[in-house]
Amino acid sequence: MHIIGVYNIKGGVGKTATAVNLAYLAAKQGYRTLIWDLDPQAAATFYFRIKPKVKGGSKKLVAGKIDLDEVVKATDFENLDMLPADFSYRNMDLRLEDAKKPTKQLLKLLRPLSQAYDYVFLDCPPSISLVSENIFRAAEGLLLPLIPTTLSLRTYQQLLDFLEGHRITGLELMPFFSMVDRRKRMHLDVMRELPDEREELLKAQIPYASDVEKMGIHRMPVEAFAPHSFAASAYQALWMDVQKRLGK
Amino acid sequence: MAPQSISYLLPDGLDLDGLRHQLAESNSLREEALSKAGQTFFDSFDWRVWQAGGELVQERDEINRICWVDRRSGEYLECELSDAIPGFSGELPAGPLRERLTPVLEMRALLPLVTITQQRRTLRVLDDEEKTVVRVVLQENRFTSIDGKLSGELEGRVLLKPLKGYDDHFEALHAQLEKLQLIPAERTLYEDALAGIGRKPGDYSPKLNYMLDPDARADATAKKIMLSLLDTLEANVDGTKANLDSEFLHDLRVATRRTRSAMTQIKSVFDPRELAPFKDGFGWLGKVTGPTRDMDVYLLQFPEYRASLPAPIQADLDPFHDFLVKHHEEAQKTLVKKINSPHFRKLMKSWRAWLNQPLPKKPKAPNALRPIAELSDQRIRKLYLKVIKDGEAIKPDSKPELLHNLRKDCKKLRYMMEFFQSLYPKPEIRSLIKEMKTLLDNLGEFQDLQVQAESLETFGKQMMKEGAPASALMAMGILVGKLLERQARAREEFAGLFEAFSSTPNRQAFQKLFYGSL
Repeated sequence: MHIIGVYNIKGGVGKTATAVNLAYLAAKQGYRTLIWDLDPQAAATFYFRIKPKVKGGSKKLVAGKIDLDEVVKATDFENLDMLPADFSYRNMDLRLEDAKKPTKQLLKLLRPLSQAYDYVFLDCPPSISLVSENIFRAAEGLLLPLIPTTLSLRTYQQLLDFLEGHRITGLELMPFFSMVDRRKRMHLDVMRELPDEREELLKAQIPYASDVEKMGIHRMPVEAFAPHSFAASAYQALWMDVQKRLGK
Repeated sequence: MAPQSISYLLPDGLDLDGLRHQLAESNSLREEALSKAGQTFFDSFDWRVWQAGGELVQERDEINRICWVDRRSGEYLECELSDAIPGFSGELPAGPLRERLTPVLEMRALLPLVTITQQRRTLRVLDDEEKTVVRVVLQENRFTSIDGKLSGELEGRVLLKPLKGYDDHFEALHAQLEKLQLIPAERTLYEDALAGIGRKPGDYSPKLNYMLDPDARADATAKKIMLSLLDTLEANVDGTKANLDSEFLHDLRVATRRTRSAMTQIKSVFDPRELAPFKDGFGWLGKVTGPTRDMDVYLLQFPEYRASLPAPIQADLDPFHDFLVKHHEEAQKTLVKKINSPHFRKLMKSWRAWLNQPLPKKPKAPNALRPIAELSDQRIRKLYLKVIKDGEAIKPDSKPELLHNLRKDCKKLRYMMEFFQSLYPKPEIRSLIKEMKTLLDNLGEFQDLQVQAESLETFGKQMMKEGAPASALMAMGILVGKLLERQARAREEFAGLFEAFSSTPNRQAFQKLFYGSL
């Protein structure tokens, strides 16, 4: 089971779209895939038309009183299951604090699913919190959508500092450019300069595209309603990069 | 527990279109584009996957994968993405599917059995968010044999597929389909397809399992057993020639050995002059199939041989593997020639013709007309007493030949008990056969290890001539030492095992079973 987190301190950077589209592509290849929507805003859950409700809420879930397997819902797509979001996830930090090892509780909860899934995608809420620290400790790889602006590069640096400060090692960092607008001078400048400094940067880039926004209308991954679009092929390229990086 | 898929057959008067119409009246449905998929089913020649409760299917769809499906629930337990046609389990990529298959298949290869092409219309039942909550798949199925010669339509099926987390919707649809009088299919689609090509799971088994009539004429019963052995033997000829795996030849040889044993041990039921040419013929068959089997045995044991050596010199043994592969190839070529020879074909044909000949009304052979149960009792008693007598004569310093001879007698006794097991109460005869087997395994181990050690020395000399490196011969020398150590252990264990076999409770059990007609 490969656990991949999709994360950024900032919101609105194309995080959920990445988790949804990559999970869909993994499932389409035949991998048994689970996407866990950890964000109480429940955007990923909405994209899959699933009701954002988890029996018992984060309290019981985090305490290990319900099996994750019991609250998993199948999506409309073969091999792709979802752990939906719940509004109570907004208090997940408090719940995690009650656990014996607060920073490793999510990993503990996921472990029983290791035989059932090949890939698990964690769609993480923005901000740095106990939930995100859990994700850093559970995941094998962390996908970091970066809008090519100086500000978002700053937040990336903040994350690196956090990881170093908390001695989180062995996590494969996979930043990539997201919501790229080639009409913007600043985007082009940042994209020209950063790769020299950051060799961990993935090559694939996700454009700022109306097809990605339309996911909210169609309520499904881009590839499912616009398989030949520019955005769909960008996600395919990104997924290939991720697999290569994780040695698959 | 989460609900499982249910496969239904349609009742008379309702077709797939009619069903679709009915479902649309009370559900919000969306129909997916028509899709086509192919499935090829695999098993070993002796149905090991089926016996282990599975079906092994290679699906060719948008993605190609090989899956182990639980045949009772239809659940896909393990899948591996793969385009390659599966053969031996070791050739599959490492993973859960291989882990499940390896202990089931052991040395047997997977063979393709039948193909199903399926045209699917998938109806999605939607909730108020337009989220799919259940799938109903209308399937039109066709089967095709692997050589493409047989094909035909199978009955249409309706598959009700649950979606995880939507059990209530599944139950509602389930109730609706039952109300429409759809019939849950008793057989899997795979079984239907096999029936289409005239096959049935488990239709080949090398195990002896005859239902015999205790009062039947002994000669008739002997022929019945021999005919069944001939069927087994012939069933393995093609696989032996093609060397699909080592067990075709093995089963062929076992059937040969059992046939020879039946000819000599079911005594005086046929005219010996009639039997003589067949005794010669099967003796010849045993001999010409030996060299290839020997090589098979060494090749099968090779991983164990290699692992028994200290790690730094394990690789030194590899030239021995090359030697075995090369000589196996040669032996196999010779074997194929023998099996293709007119002599072999004639032997099979004339033996079958003789077995099918009507029995003489007044046979001269003294035991021909005796009820088989009586003869069976008598023969087993005799063989048993001989085994006990010979076994008791073996002392710690007795020559190996005595153990070899005892092994032969034990084998005869075991075959006889197996041929005639249906004449005796099942638990008792099974338990005695098992006791017999324990002793035989020990005797077999003792002799096989000696033969292996001797052969390894011969092979070593031959390899030297063929230019193998000295390191290989040294490794083989160490191996011979290990084999002889194991043989010595088997020899030590013999006394205890024989004592158990000849213990009072076992003697009483033998008496109870085989002294009935005294």
